[in-house]
Amino acid sequence: MKIHHFLCAAIAASIPSLVCAQSNSSQPDYTKFAVEPGAQLEVWSWVVGLDSVAKDFEKEFPNIKVKVDNIGGGPTEYQKLQTAIKAGSGAPDVAQIEYDFLPSFIVTDGLADLTPFGAEQAKSYFVGWTWGQVSPDGKIVYGIPQDIGPLALMYNKKTFDKYQIAVPKTWDEFAAQAEKLSKASQGKVKIVNFFADYAPWFIGLAWAADGKFFETSDDTWSQELNNPIAEKVLTYWNDLVKKGYATTYKGFTPELYNAFANGEIAASVEAAWGPGVMAASLKERTAGDWRVAPLPQWKAGEAKSGNWGGSAFVVTKQSKFPRAATLFNIWLNTHRSAVLNNWYNTGIFPASIQGLADPELHMPDKDPSKFCGGQNVVQVYADAAKGVNVDFAWSPWFAFVNDNYNKQMSEMVAGKFTPRQALDAWQADSLKNAKDQGFEVKSQ
Amino acid sequence: MKKQSKIAYAFLAPFLILFVAFYLSPIVYAAYLSLFTKKRIGLRAAQDVFSGVTNYIRGFQDVNFLTSLKNILIFGIFQIPTMLIAALILALLLDQSRGLLMRVCRTIYFIPYTIPIAIGGLVWGCLYARDLSPVNQLLSTLNLARIDFLSPSLILFSIANITFWTWTGYNMITLFAALKNIPDELSEAARVDGAKRWDIVWRIKLPLLMPTFQLLFLFSIIGTSQIFAEAWVLRPIEYVADNITPNVYIYLTAARDTNYSYAAALAILLAAVVFAISSFLLRKLQPH
Repeated sequence: MKIHHFLCAAIAASIPSLVCAQSNSSQPDYTKFAVEPGAQLEVWSWVVGLDSVAKDFEKEFPNIKVKVDNIGGGPTEYQKLQTAIKAGSGAPDVAQIEYDFLPSFIVTDGLADLTPFGAEQAKSYFVGWTWGQVSPDGKIVYGIPQDIGPLALMYNKKTFDKYQIAVPKTWDEFAAQAEKLSKASQGKVKIVNFFADYAPWFIGLAWAADGKFFETSDDTWSQELNNPIAEKVLTYWNDLVKKGYATTYKGFTPELYNAFANGEIAASVEAAWGPGVMAASLKERTAGDWRVAPLPQWKAGEAKSGNWGGSAFVVTKQSKFPRAATLFNIWLNTHRSAVLNNWYNTGIFPASIQGLADPELHMPDKDPSKFCGGQNVVQVYADAAKGVNVDFAWSPWFAFVNDNYNKQMSEMVAGKFTPRQALDAWQADSLKNAKDQGFEVKSQ
Repeated sequence: MKKQSKIAYAFLAPFLILFVAFYLSPIVYAAYLSLFTKKRIGLRAAQDVFSGVTNYIRGFQDVNFLTSLKNILIFGIFQIPTMLIAALILALLLDQSRGLLMRVCRTIYFIPYTIPIAIGGLVWGCLYARDLSPVNQLLSTLNLARIDFLSPSLILFSIANITFWTWTGYNMITLFAALKNIPDELSEAARVDGAKRWDIVWRIKLPLLMPTFQLLFLFSIIGTSQIFAEAWVLRPIEYVADNITPNVYIYLTAARDTNYSYAAALAILLAAVVFAISSFLLRKLQPH
């Protein structure tokens, strides 16, 4: 390293460029990774524009060919991937998996340990806690972090201004403004959407209130989906729904985006990747009208947040080119151009330290910042990330927990369950499923 | 081995190889899989351990699986007769008509069957979606209450409606082809004997149609027990229960909960139930 630095200094003296600053430590030295000759990688991911980023990778590493397949987002991909893992063939080399679903793949033994392929060299380039998400036991590394999803409040400034709604700092203020907005618009405009079909969204909100759902110690799991904090948060949201202040559109549906576009919904609790998805989905409609504010707090003056999603890029055990795959994953999530393009294309909020600090991420004339009126969206979410309690665990049966949330919330939204009943049923069903799957689970 | 039988096996080989590879071996593999359960320790990779018929016993006690069977039973009792009788009436009407109108109608009725269910289901999903549905938009402009086509109480009917739309035309075409196969001499002879149009339908055509009808009935029972895509494509639009049909439940048990062994046991149980029901009904229907 010393020699390397010296050389750099020598070169820098003669060439006035940023070469040194870059090769210094902002990104790993990719040349150190030995890869299999003639590697061909198949990548499963739902990140928009990843194919063009993969082409940049191929330019830098002409000996590695990359084919990107978008076979569906989230659970759709997971079910296909689990099936391919069980079948023993048909899995891609690289796949995108959200942190909350990673344990369900660890226990099916489908993911390669990346430590023999030099994953540790990348560790220092990522926000500390994300490494804990991809390496739950601190030894085996199951993936390379891509992004994080701290929560904040996206709001339509035009609508807020029109009805003279103040940006709420606490949930009390939020409820008050929700009522004001509803009255001022004769019930036409709702302040927010309640996502009754995305458990990680709700868990993120409870996370921001210090809620915890899963823990593991000595090979035994515990699950508390119906914890008191979850009840407090869900009761609050159920009130908003019951009073007609919140819509209950399904997430990522045309109906939801129509409602955002035609001004029916004035704000949304969105993860850091949310503005990017919103910009890509709404395109010209309401572009420039949105802003991002910190997540409302339960206690005034605090700055807590939770996390929704965020993905890792894993290498499957079936891959014939795990070294090349590891290099791709590290490059994709640390290399400057890749990190920037992922942000511009679809608002992937990087888990890499250098990526977060990159001034170009703030470009006001490019989406998602442009979609938010040129606001420095990154700063709001970077601050939100600091308020996320990093000690948070998931469970291998989370795929079921996620689906079952949908069931219980449908009942609650339909008025058949109180929040308490919905949470209790969620806990009971999920506990039964975990036990049926053979997990040893405790609950208090 | 005699020369003759060698030749026979050579001719049979293309079928036998495919039959064994793609039909028998998956069944054998499923049966083998179904005898294992998972042993898990914390976050470590799960171990498969042999546990005999444990999965089958669990299947019999699994409320979700039993509910899915009940759902499909109710579904079948209503949907199969409705669909087959509609198909029969349409086929008879087509049989009575001639010319361009007949051909246009025949094609129109058959088209839904040619549309992949993934696409047909999405279209139906939009028709059923609470806020997007044209029916509901019409109802709300008339200040009437919206219909929640995908609510737990209506979802089975909504799915039945999709299968009705898809399969009535297919059944109609099959019945229509069978009607065309009935020799004209029979009708002519009956007419000479003084039979009216209705008598010919009732006493000549329908009895001769019975074997085809029974076959379609059997196919419908099997098809109903296998319903998956119609329910699956509606899931992203509105919450559809895991146990809405046996195949949805089995798929989720396998692909989502990665419990392949238990899913295999349930699939075999389902096959056994369907086999029992269809052979019972067939025996009842056969003229003695």
